[in-house]
Amino acid sequence: MIKKNAKDLDNNFRFEISKKIGAKSLLNCIQCGVCSSGCTVTEYVDMQPHRVVASCLLGLKDEVLSSQAIWTCSLCHRCTERCPKGVDYSFILALLRNLAVKEGNIPKEYSDTIRTISKNGFVIPYTGGMKITIDRRRDKMGLPKIITPNLDEINFIIKETGLGDLIKEDNKKEVKK
Amino acid sequence: MEYALYLGCTIPLRFPHFEYAFREVANILDIQFKEMKGSSCCPDPVATQSLNIDTWLTLAARNLAIAEKMGLDVMTICSGCFETLKTTHVLLKENNEAFDRVNLVLTKIGYEYKGTSKVTHFTELFSQEAMLEKIKNVILRPLDDLNVAAHYGCHLIRPSKIMQFDDPERPESIDTILKVLGANTIKFASKLECCGYCARLNEDIGFKLVEEKMSELNKLELEVDAMVAVCPACVSQYDRKEKLLSRKTGKELDIPILFLPELMAIAFGIEIDKLGLKNRSVKPMKLIEKLKT
Repeated sequence: MIKKNAKDLDNNFRFEISKKIGAKSLLNCIQCGVCSSGCTVTEYVDMQPHRVVASCLLGLKDEVLSSQAIWTCSLCHRCTERCPKGVDYSFILALLRNLAVKEGNIPKEYSDTIRTISKNGFVIPYTGGMKITIDRRRDKMGLPKIITPNLDEINFIIKETGLGDLIKEDNKKEVKK
Repeated sequence: MEYALYLGCTIPLRFPHFEYAFREVANILDIQFKEMKGSSCCPDPVATQSLNIDTWLTLAARNLAIAEKMGLDVMTICSGCFETLKTTHVLLKENNEAFDRVNLVLTKIGYEYKGTSKVTHFTELFSQEAMLEKIKNVILRPLDDLNVAAHYGCHLIRPSKIMQFDDPERPESIDTILKVLGANTIKFASKLECCGYCARLNEDIGFKLVEEKMSELNKLELEVDAMVAVCPACVSQYDRKEKLLSRKTGKELDIPILFLPELMAIAFGIEIDKLGLKNRSVKPMKLIEKLKT
């Protein structure tokens, strides 16, 4: 069990989260546990949903951001759906991942995805041999041609919103979860 | 009835036969589309949202801005795209600060997001009263000899304050469509369970969820001819993992998974061989045989 002194708690952590878009509801939690009882992945996490929320409210920032729980979510949204106090847990979880990412904790699978989007505009590679195969298959079915988005625009958005570092080829920051 | 058709990436690039089935069905039902030229990945609600919510919202708003310029509402054919685009639409409507932040980036590349185009999923359109009537009138091959299980998946209906479609705990839309096609729909305990596709960092979760649902369907007294889903991630998750699980455990998990428009296309008399059903990991040979008789 983690023992912490009151002075070691990050009292501002709850507000760091709740001031963000869609996350004000964090402060409503009454620790009833409905989220954890309906959670699809509840047996796979090191900290159940209601504990994650409690830890945010208590200011256990490091424990939350280094937990495996924030990455183990199937996005089923049952927690958010059933919460009697309107806590939007699944969205708050995404925010917590954003904060963990800022501290350099990035699953390789996710950074690979944004790089694929950066290079193709799509989440699936659509260049070279892949493009030829896909186009041929679509032609055979009589489906319209794929029009690739302007990649300069896509990459401008990725950079302006703060993920520019991740799409650099030499990035070694991410760790495999 | 005209929409801006948002294809996303998974269907057009990986499962074009789903797109084919959808276009055939929409065409028969007189639904008109304009293609959304230059749209990108929605972007995906798992990785992109996890990395940076602003990146997620801004890329999504760019896609929505393309539809706004066309003056049309957006039709999505994947539940992941539906979630991303609809969440963006709802969140940016409620949050002025985020709305401005998104537009600050978009104006620099010549776009403006206004929030004027609504976002829908084909399940929403097909389950409307008037459309069900239309569907009834174009059925050439009623499915009354089939037992079909509906898989709703998560993002189509939850969180309901965002998705605002069907009942999040007792959804009926897919079953209603199936019944109109003539099929016998199945009640089962794990009906609303998640497919686990989005829990990508731990594959055990997906295997467990797929095994639970498919084992339940296999144990039922009546024989299940197919399960239908309305999201390419759900279809591929069950299809692929059913096959892998059968190999691993020796259990026979062989219920074919269909994309709803495929089953609609069959009922509308589209030639089965054109639908590419044989591309599935779990080949629906029994179902095809049954349908050809």
